Parts: sequence; structure tokens; C-alpha cells
Amino acid sequence: MTAIVSTQGLVKRYDRTLAVAGVDLEIEEGEIFGLVGPNGAGKTTTLRILATLLEPTAGEAEVAGWSLARNPNEVRRVLGFMPDVFGVYDDMRVWEYLDFFGRCYGLSAPARKRIIGDLLELVDLADKRDTYVQGLSRGMQQRLCLAHALVHDPKVLLLDEPASGLDPRARVELRELLRELRVLGKTILISSHILPELEELCTSVAIVDRGRVLASGRIADIEKRLRVGAVLRARVIAEGEELEAARAWFSGQAEVASAAILPDGQVELGFRGDEIETAALLRDAIASGLRIASFSRAASDLEELFLQVTGQDEVPVQEAVA
Amino acid sequence: MIAALARRPRFSLPGITAIMVKELRGRMRGRRAFVSVTIYTLIVAGFAWMVGRIIEESVRQNFGFSPQYQSASIGRGIFVALMFLQTLMISVLAPASTAGTISGERERQTLDLLAVTPISSVAIVVGKLLSALTWVFILILASVPVSALVFVYGGVAPDDLLRGYVLLFVTAIAFGALGMFFSALIRRSGAATGLTFVSVIVATVGLTFIWVFLRVSEANNLDANTLAQRRPPEALLYLNPWVSQADVACGAEGGSGSWCSVIAEVTGANQVFAQPVQGGVIAPGAAGNCFSDGTTTTCKAVAIDGGGIPAPAPAVGNDLVVNDVISGPESLRDRFWPRSALTMLLIALGLTAASVQLVTPTRRWRPSLPGFLRRLRPRRSA
Repeated sequence: MTAIVSTQGLVKRYDRTLAVAGVDLEIEEGEIFGLVGPNGAGKTTTLRILATLLEPTAGEAEVAGWSLARNPNEVRRVLGFMPDVFGVYDDMRVWEYLDFFGRCYGLSAPARKRIIGDLLELVDLADKRDTYVQGLSRGMQQRLCLAHALVHDPKVLLLDEPASGLDPRARVELRELLRELRVLGKTILISSHILPELEELCTSVAIVDRGRVLASGRIADIEKRLRVGAVLRARVIAEGEELEAARAWFSGQAEVASAAILPDGQVELGFRGDEIETAALLRDAIASGLRIASFSRAASDLEELFLQVTGQDEVPVQEAVA
Repeated sequence: MIAALARRPRFSLPGITAIMVKELRGRMRGRRAFVSVTIYTLIVAGFAWMVGRIIEESVRQNFGFSPQYQSASIGRGIFVALMFLQTLMISVLAPASTAGTISGERERQTLDLLAVTPISSVAIVVGKLLSALTWVFILILASVPVSALVFVYGGVAPDDLLRGYVLLFVTAIAFGALGMFFSALIRRSGAATGLTFVSVIVATVGLTFIWVFLRVSEANNLDANTLAQRRPPEALLYLNPWVSQADVACGAEGGSGSWCSVIAEVTGANQVFAQPVQGGVIAPGAAGNCFSDGTTTTCKAVAIDGGGIPAPAPAVGNDLVVNDVISGPESLRDRFWPRSALTMLLIALGLTAASVQLVTPTRRWRPSLPGFLRRLRPRRSA
């Protein structure tokens, strides 16, 4: 597969600050690619450069084979962009809003009519066709904004913090919508600082901090490469000394860095192994007669990865995990 | 070359259409457009009626004869008053309708959504300017029937009215483009609107005041060669549409009269009165108020001071039948307003081009604003 979005050494310097300091990304067609990083990491700047809204100070980028610098208009035709903060026009109905953007892309009147109908179905706003845009809820506006980014059937979607400010239900709806879009063959580049929302969705991620990509690729690959530790929690059906014996058993196993009994009776393990070793640990534990009611990773993988990777400079790995 | 042009689709025109359809949908929605046109027309009509009454009464009281003899000057008076009033209203409405367009998009954070579409910055700026001006143009055109009522009085030719309206359109375009420029330059609509009005006042009242000051201070400073009075450059007044309207009024006066003396003062041209000729002799004291019914020309005797006509003038207000009217060698018609209109249009063009630059997100040219202006544009966080 070939990369549909690629950047080489993107740099964006504002007067005094370096917002993006050499970002290289390779995003393959059909991926949902997550750009993860703390606030101010340069995610938004990177996306705005890709959306042709900012000119990079240095570096190059291509979208669907078009160079951002030389063919910005071609890039705009294959790109749908949803900014992190966006407004809506007052005094406009939902269909007029989409019709306006359809005209902006030079779509003919019958094409606009058909597409508006389809998109409103897709984002579940068909019954709001004649509502004024400012009268929609935040989640609906978000979905409308997503629909507007789709009027010209773009290959690549850039979504900047799409779930910020959404309630859990709207968030779930958005996630379903993005899955549908992926089925439709769109490549989606999505930025977020809320990690769990990306973890379930993304095929690949890039972890960025202070303008640099610290790690990128499939989540499992990054994890493997970095040999990231995990926090495991086991609920052992045992009390008192029996529980203490279970803890002792765990702490004697390979790859277990620490074992402690939590106030709620669970055993928490600092574990250096990967998933295969996790499975082996569980198998051995059961084989050794421990009655285990539940056994899981405590924190989200991505969150952990993120803390580790971004914290590498100042925070020792173990501390970051704990 | 041609193949390259043909291959690349031109999107500026559909872009302009898209922007205009969207803007006009908003502006013309509901009763708003209807109400504003009605109010505008009522103001214009009411004002015209009141001015007509004032002139009629002043004719009756000052000259002591029935106003119908002064029908032409009443018509002219109403015409001039209407054009002045509309210039004032347009000078307020045109910038007000454009000064929030771009900054409003920035404030609502919708400009980015537009900027990622293939429509060009030219289309955004021109589309917004045209739709804002369309609204103002509709107001101006709605007043045409009212203005046309001056033909009932006479004294104004259709082409005078045409000139007046051309100037109203030019005024709307120039001040509209000014509002657009500040809207693109400054992020906050309130500040953009404020600065636009300050600029309009500086361009009109301010520059005119400077002209008057220079005129007074140089009045005794004669040119060494010609011994003529030095005049400040008339270009200082090109941005004042009222001076241009005075020039149009001068045209309606047939090239001589009180409005023409304003233009004579501005341009430095010698105002030569149209001189009625009676039996081969220049009729005394009857300048500039002549009417012709095709065969005979009648001139009203009016008091002229310093007209250089030595003969004793007939009693003011008496009719004087004259054989012919010779216009002055130098008609003052159209001496000022075409230059002013051209200047305003060129400035509008420049301001529009600058606005396009300011709207383009990835522009290379960035103005370095003075500190007090920079504070009005808060830096975007990275």
C-alpha cells in the first residue's frame, strides 16, 4: 500500500516558538490514524498545515500525490477538514449550509441535492433539514460540520479534536460514524489528547510532543518496540494470608516488577512483559491453583504508551507507569 | 498554454456565486430587506418633501413672489438635498454593511471552513463585497422614483440625475471596500467598524478641513509667475463625495451658479456667468437665471455682487426678455466629479486587493502592524 498522506520534515515556527519541529508522517490509504499528544504538542498546527491553512516554515507534504506547496487547490479537493473550534453561520438552515459548501466545491445543483440528502442521512440529521444551524445541539453541529467536510467526497478527512465538548452518547455516535466512513474507504487523520477515544478507533497512531513525533505505527508495534510495562490487576478469590500468598506468588514470576495488594483486595502488578507473556502469566497463575475472578490491564494501553513516550525526558519509566 | 488554462478549472466565478447566494440569503431573509427598503425610501421621500416646502417658503418670503416662478430652483434644491442626504446615508450604510463581513467570519471561526475549499480569496472578498453592496444598491435604486419627482419641478435634467446616481454608486463601492479592508485587517468586528467610520470621517471631513486650512493660509501667497492665488491640491477633496455632488449640482445649474462657485473655488477655474444678451448688449444683472421657451429667453434679474456689470440692474425679480444667452467661455460642468469618482474607484480596487491578501491564509506578505493595532489581533495559539 502506498501512503496517501506523507510529510517530510515539517517545521512551523512562529515568532519565538517552534510549534512543529520536523514531523514525518506516513499514512496509508484506508487508515484511521491518530495524532496523540498533550495540548500544545503541535497536533493542530500539523493538521492546519495539511489543510493548506498554514504554510510550513520548512519541509514538504503530499496528500494523494499532490504537493501542498505546488498544488494546494488539488489538495483541497481531496481533503475534508474539521477544525477543533469551528463556528456556524447564523441565519442559515442546515440544508443551506451544506448547499453553500457544495457550491464552494463547484458541484452542480442536482449533485448538491442528492449529496445533501445522503449526507444528512449519514450523520443522522435528515429530520433537521430546515432547522437553523445555530439551533442545533453541539453534537449535531459537530456532525453537521463533519457532513460539510464530506460534500465533495474527499479521500482524506482531517479531524481536529472531533470529540471535544461532546457528551458520551454523542461521542459514541461520532465513533460509529467514523467507522462507517472507514468502511466507505476514507482515510481519516484524527487528533486528540483524549486517549481512550482514539485507542478503540485508530489503526495507527503517532505520538507527538513539543512538535516532534516520538513514536508512530500500529499501537501493538509501538508497544512491542518500546517494551512498555503495563499495570495488571487481578482479583483473586482469597483473603488474609491466602491473598498474601497469592501476591508472593505473583512477585516471584518473571517480568513482574512489583506486586501489591490494593485496598479493594485486588492484586496490582507492575509487568514488563508483552501480551503473550501476559497470557502465560495468567495460565501459570491458574495452573498454580489461584482462583482468579478477573485479570486485566489497569490503564489504557495508549495512555500508558503516551505517558511513557512523552515522559521519557524527565520522568523515569517506572514512575510514569505508577 | 491554452491547454493548461483549459485543464485547470476556474473556480472564482462559482465561488463568487456561492458566497453571494449565501450572503444574500442571510441578508434578504424574512422581512428585514423589505423593512429596510421601506424605511430608507420613506426617509428620502419625507426629506424631499420637507426640503421642497422650505425652499418654497423661503422663495415666498425672501423674493415676495409665488413659488411657481422659481419652480426650477426648487427642483434643483430638492435634487441637491436628496443627493447630499443619500450620500450621507450611503457613507454610513455601505461601510457598516461590509465592516463585519470578514471579521465576523473570523469571530465565528468559519473563515477556516471557507479557506479549505477551493474557492479563492478573491472570490471570498469580491463575493462578500458584491453581496453587501447589492443590498446598498437596492436601497439606492429604491430611491430613484422619489428622486425622479424633481422632474415635476424642472431645473434638473435626466443626465444630472444620472450623474448623481453614478456618484452614489461609486461612494457605496469606495466606502464599502474601505469597510471590507478593515474587516479583513482587524479580527474584531466592533473595532473594524469603528476604524472604518473614523477613516470615512478622516477621508471626507478631515481632508476637507485640511484643504480649507491650506486654502486660507495660502490665500495671500500669490504665485510668482501668474500672480494667481495658490490653491491646495483639489485631490485632497477627491474622497469627499459631497464636493462631487456639488459639482453635479453645478452641472444642473448649467455651469454657473452658487454650486458652481464652490467648484470654481475648489478647482481654481474662473467662473463665468452665463450672460444674457439683450439687443446685442449684455443684459445687466440678469446672470444665471434664464429660461427659454424655445423662442424667447427670459432671465430673472438677480442681485450679483462684483459681477463686473456696470449698468444699473433692473429691480430684482423682474422679468427681462433677452434675445440670446451666451455661456461663459469656460463651463464648469464635470470638472471635478469624474476625477473624484475615478480616484475613489481606484482606491476601492486597491483596498479590495489588499483585503484579498489579508484573507489568504498562507500569504507571504504580512503587514507589520503598529502596536496598538496588533493588540486588536490576538495571536493564535499554536
